[in-house]
Amino acid sequence: MKKALLATLLLGFSTPLFAADTVKLAITGPFSGGSAPMGVSMRDGAKLAINEINAAGGIVVGGKKLKIDIIERDDEAKNDRGALIGQELASMDDLSGVIGSVNTGVVIAGDKHLQEKGITKIICPAAGSASMTQWADKPEKPGPKDLSIFRFAAHDGIQSAMVVEEAINRKLTKVAVIHDATNYGVSGRDDLLNQIKLQGNKLEVVATEKFNIGDKDMTAQLLKAKTAGAQAILIWGIGPELAAVSNDMDKIGLKIPLIGGWTLSMSNYIDNAGKNGNGTLMPQTFIEEPITPRIKAFINAYHKAYNVDRIPSPVSAAQGYDAVLIFAAAVKQAQSTDTKKIKLALEDLKEPVKGVIATWKHPYSTWNPADEQTHEAFRRENAVMGMVKDGRVVFGNDADRQRLIKQEK
Amino acid sequence: MEVTLQMGVSGALMGLVYALIAYGFQLTFATSKSINFGQGELVMLSAFISLTLTNIGLPYWLMVPAGLLCGVVLGLAVERLAVRLALEQKSEGWILMTIIFGLFAFSAAENIWGRDDHPFPTPISSDPLHFFGISVTPVEISVAIGVLSVMGLIELFKRKTLWGKAFDAVAADRDAAELMGISAKRTIMLSYGLSGLVAAMAGILVSPITTVGPTMASALILKAFAVAVVAGLDSGFGVVVVGLFLGALESLASFYIGSGWREAPGLILLILALAMKPSGVFGKVSIRKV
Repeated sequence: MKKALLATLLLGFSTPLFAADTVKLAITGPFSGGSAPMGVSMRDGAKLAINEINAAGGIVVGGKKLKIDIIERDDEAKNDRGALIGQELASMDDLSGVIGSVNTGVVIAGDKHLQEKGITKIICPAAGSASMTQWADKPEKPGPKDLSIFRFAAHDGIQSAMVVEEAINRKLTKVAVIHDATNYGVSGRDDLLNQIKLQGNKLEVVATEKFNIGDKDMTAQLLKAKTAGAQAILIWGIGPELAAVSNDMDKIGLKIPLIGGWTLSMSNYIDNAGKNGNGTLMPQTFIEEPITPRIKAFINAYHKAYNVDRIPSPVSAAQGYDAVLIFAAAVKQAQSTDTKKIKLALEDLKEPVKGVIATWKHPYSTWNPADEQTHEAFRRENAVMGMVKDGRVVFGNDADRQRLIKQEK
Repeated sequence: MEVTLQMGVSGALMGLVYALIAYGFQLTFATSKSINFGQGELVMLSAFISLTLTNIGLPYWLMVPAGLLCGVVLGLAVERLAVRLALEQKSEGWILMTIIFGLFAFSAAENIWGRDDHPFPTPISSDPLHFFGISVTPVEISVAIGVLSVMGLIELFKRKTLWGKAFDAVAADRDAAELMGISAKRTIMLSYGLSGLVAAMAGILVSPITTVGPTMASALILKAFAVAVVAGLDSGFGVVVVGLFLGALESLASFYIGSGWREAPGLILLILALAMKPSGVFGKVSIRKV
């Protein structure tokens, strides 16, 4: 403890001559405010993994066992806080890495400082596509040759593909696309329309409607979908407005599936939609159902450690947990606490990492600005379809459940 | 045809909430020629307080009067802290002061209850009923009944009681009323109290539909302004008619023109009203003696 204190004091003088005896890992995210369920679950999931590693003595680096030291920062989902935290973390000389962030704006404001200093960051549990595409090649500006930012979340492309796939699998032919008027909603709509084309134009879009943040009355949009004969609503938006859509669907007696992005699992959707939310489908990376021993152990440990009977955002908790395990594996492989060496190890992880979402085999590869998939860990098979049932998210398709059980065996 | 009717009815019912909030503007404008620009935040605060009362276990029928009482207290607080001093000095400072009061209330709500939207429990069912091919939920009907009864009661109070007469007297001519021994100060306090009550009622009625959150009233308040201005700042009957009309119009516009154009007809209506009848469609032309 004393040594750690001394190290913190010396931090300002930046003399990394002595070998570090802890791995300094920063966890950032919105721990207060509207996005807090995601930030807090991610942090708590990550802490579970860190406690397990530390309880076993730590990570073996150069014959010594190093424990993980957590630096926590609350970005409050505010872009300016994100920038400040990015600057602060970038100025730390012995920081090994950063895990965190939910909001795209926060990532865009903060990550450039980390990238400048080459500090390894794993974006987890969320943030929109722009958090990675900002580093990719663009016609007007090529992306950086070397990138220290990684992402550990199911990107919007996977999600929209799954949403369209679900509608096709249900043998539907006519759908309405409804989205919010923000960047997130508009790019979601484009992804959906694009996917419909890619998957063979099997769906006819009979209505495309939008709504604004804060809108509570969705009757007009839904009646249009209804009169046009839509058999399902594909939707892209965030919690409170999605709940208004579900409630108004019940009001006008529109009983068709509602399928959309993972935001449909946000607690402010589930709680505000109440019983009207039942049956809603969305892609998930983790479902809080103890289907395998490993998942059961994780869920029980979370419930016990934080004294809850339901994880606020199971997806975030599981992603936080797995992100720490992957990071720890990279430290072990690098045999160093140097963030640049950890980055190289992450790009070429030799040993598979057994997480709760999946067994991660070589999740990342060397950064290529022409293909941001090189720093994305999630593939289609890492996501499943979730369904709201009585205030919880359960498996939407039994096939997914069986697939995960089989994978474990 | 059914769709048109459905859109019209749904919209008109929401329009009644605009009317109720607009009525809150009228009450204070009549006596003091000032309005509370933080009225939306009063709606929001009252809704949050009522929600908290429900959460600590108060039954709905006790929570409603308790919530209304809180609204009255908040209204009086606005008058005392933000309006009275400015009025005494015959300054327009109340404009800024009530805006500041609103911003303060907004920050307080964010810090106390968080930025999330919360569902508002109500014993009134939200399962739709069907009449003539259109669906209406009992919650929406309760909004209509609540709005009309609270406005009716206040109008009755203004016409039938001595305090109500004083209210009208101060509204008609403040100086003359004071000469007759009516305390204008008390009457203004009364009007702010009533306006707080109306805001609380709007909050309690609309929350089961819109959910409760710090930003819940920001969209409502703008519409309420439009309703108050189009109807005229002194006609209770006028705000109901204009509220119903604007609500239905919005809803129909978003269906027939496109959901992005929802606000447009209301704004056009506002411009037309200001150009053709500046004192409001139902307003009395005020004669200013020089």
